[in-house]
Amino acid sequence: MRRRPSHGGYYCRRCSRGRARPGSGGHLGGDVAAADRTVDVVVVGAGYAGLTTARRLVAGGVEVAVLEARDRVGGRVWTVTTPGGAVVDHGGQWIGPTQDRLQALADEFAVGTFPTHVAGTNVEIRHGERHEFTGLVPMSDREASADVVTALFEFDQLAKEVSPAEPWTHPEATTLDRRTLGSWVEEHVDSPTGRDIVTAAVLAVFGAEPSELSLLFALAYARGGGGLNMLVRTTGGAQERRFTGGAQQMAGHLAAGLGDRLITGAPVTSVVHGPSGVSVVAEHPGTGAPGGDPGGTGRVRIDARRVVVAVPPAVQGRIAFDPPLPGDRSQLAQHAPMGSVTKVHAVFDRPFWREDGLSGQVVADAGTLRFVSDNSPEDGAHGVLMGFIAGHDDRRLESAGPAGRREAALADLVRAFGPSAAEPVEFVEQRWSAEPFSGGAPVACFGPGLLTGCGPALRRPVGPVHWAGTETADEWSGYIEGAVSSGERAAGEVLAALGHGADGVDGTDGVDDGRR
Amino acid sequence: MADADEITEAYADWQARCNANSRLATMLRGWDRVVHLTCSDTGDRFTIAVEDSVLAELRQGAVGDPDLVVTATSEDFADLFWGDLNPSEKYLSGEIVLAGSADDVMRLDAMSMVVFLDG
Repeated sequence: MRRRPSHGGYYCRRCSRGRARPGSGGHLGGDVAAADRTVDVVVVGAGYAGLTTARRLVAGGVEVAVLEARDRVGGRVWTVTTPGGAVVDHGGQWIGPTQDRLQALADEFAVGTFPTHVAGTNVEIRHGERHEFTGLVPMSDREASADVVTALFEFDQLAKEVSPAEPWTHPEATTLDRRTLGSWVEEHVDSPTGRDIVTAAVLAVFGAEPSELSLLFALAYARGGGGLNMLVRTTGGAQERRFTGGAQQMAGHLAAGLGDRLITGAPVTSVVHGPSGVSVVAEHPGTGAPGGDPGGTGRVRIDARRVVVAVPPAVQGRIAFDPPLPGDRSQLAQHAPMGSVTKVHAVFDRPFWREDGLSGQVVADAGTLRFVSDNSPEDGAHGVLMGFIAGHDDRRLESAGPAGRREAALADLVRAFGPSAAEPVEFVEQRWSAEPFSGGAPVACFGPGLLTGCGPALRRPVGPVHWAGTETADEWSGYIEGAVSSGERAAGEVLAALGHGADGVDGTDGVDDGRR
Repeated sequence: MADADEITEAYADWQARCNANSRLATMLRGWDRVVHLTCSDTGDRFTIAVEDSVLAELRQGAVGDPDLVVTATSEDFADLFWGDLNPSEKYLSGEIVLAGSADDVMRLDAMSMVVFLDG
């Protein structure tokens, strides 16, 4: 049977209405919409982190409400079927070795996986020339490639010294966090071509230029996935397999399990928090819309004892916290921009490049698409090429508009695969940098000084406010796996704070008892 | 198919290139390991040791407890040691199988790739 501590000033369904609201939330209106409710825990964000948090909490006997800004779940994982019938993952899409939590979800919901297509020869674009290569590293300049392999190795050796959970504890943390990944690459890779190869890989992994990333952050990030060597690999690495039918499916199943605990189309605008709990308000046009809640106010308010914020740091900045967040937590949100990436898909009637012995993979030193891979369905019923426009290229192409980006991307595909690539059946782009509720993708990119300055604030609860999201994960941060593990961690924190721990002993639910 | 004599000769060439490679000197530092080679076609076995950042002579048979076991055809071993084969490509395609800790596998892959690229 579910144990519930005595109220002690907290809210419950029976007695919350009419009580003074927590904190100093006197500005909140008095109208109560139908969706308004009082629960134990509010979860902000229904990506994999928020969904996992909610599911764990529900399993722990806790009443939950999840507020999701979009009208869909999955966050940075989003699968769509194009008008022509191609299933396209606009966001996160891969699973690799050691991503066991994500694999368990796939198994649970009977979502199959298949190997990312790698058979064939890769294309390298270097100084405007087209080359072909096999294996991991472009080969047009062997000296440069040897530089890259050596640097990759040295980077991973250095990364082994860094704790992915607490990178700021490294004895040289300040020094490592003072410089950028770019400056390290310049020091360790002599040849310009070698640096270009590394830059292409960094753009694909982070959606950011090496010069934008703290070295300590990059080391910790790589370490959390088993090394940069793992992150850049397909076979045996982070891009090893894809999900049959798309990576969003498990999120859909998790959402279905939450039933009406999940409220979509409700971007959270404010979190009032204090010793007596939280009051979370979201815009929710649905409550005031025709056919919706007749007395609707266009917003929804959930009162609870705790809140778990499961959105990226940059998006947390959209939420008004009252009282304001501590300085280090606020600075963290201000200083952790999302990677800048547009993911494009070109759909063809068949994977014609395979007929030419090509794998579909491209690595380029310049242009619009610095990384391309074969994203065709498992059965090859049609051909799909996926490419990233990342970092400065992504910002540079803002003014080009969708048509300009399409033209530039197709020119790059033609350069790699010939004239057959000029006229895809369909072409779609997902511009993550323009997504208000992600702010970019694939992950928040920490610049110099942020981890050592504000890192400990990343997971540290602020009173009844807890933090989840792949950015807070210590393993596979930036990946779906990290999102899932962060949700498990946050739910564990909250359950312990609410006295729903494994031992079943009621906790005191003090403000600071969720701290690490 | 390559016999034991050819593999021994090819290895001597590879060993000389490895031990003369300045990048490898760093990569092999502190990495004393025993590597067994198994030819999937002929059944021949060999043992390589790394000691003090230096590759030792090839020994016939499986000697000692291996940290790593490499399985490939005798022809691939000969091509690898002669520098005619991209080791990462063969490893990624599964034609060369490396068994050992993830760290040891990564290091062997990286060092053999560097020697291949440096020629």
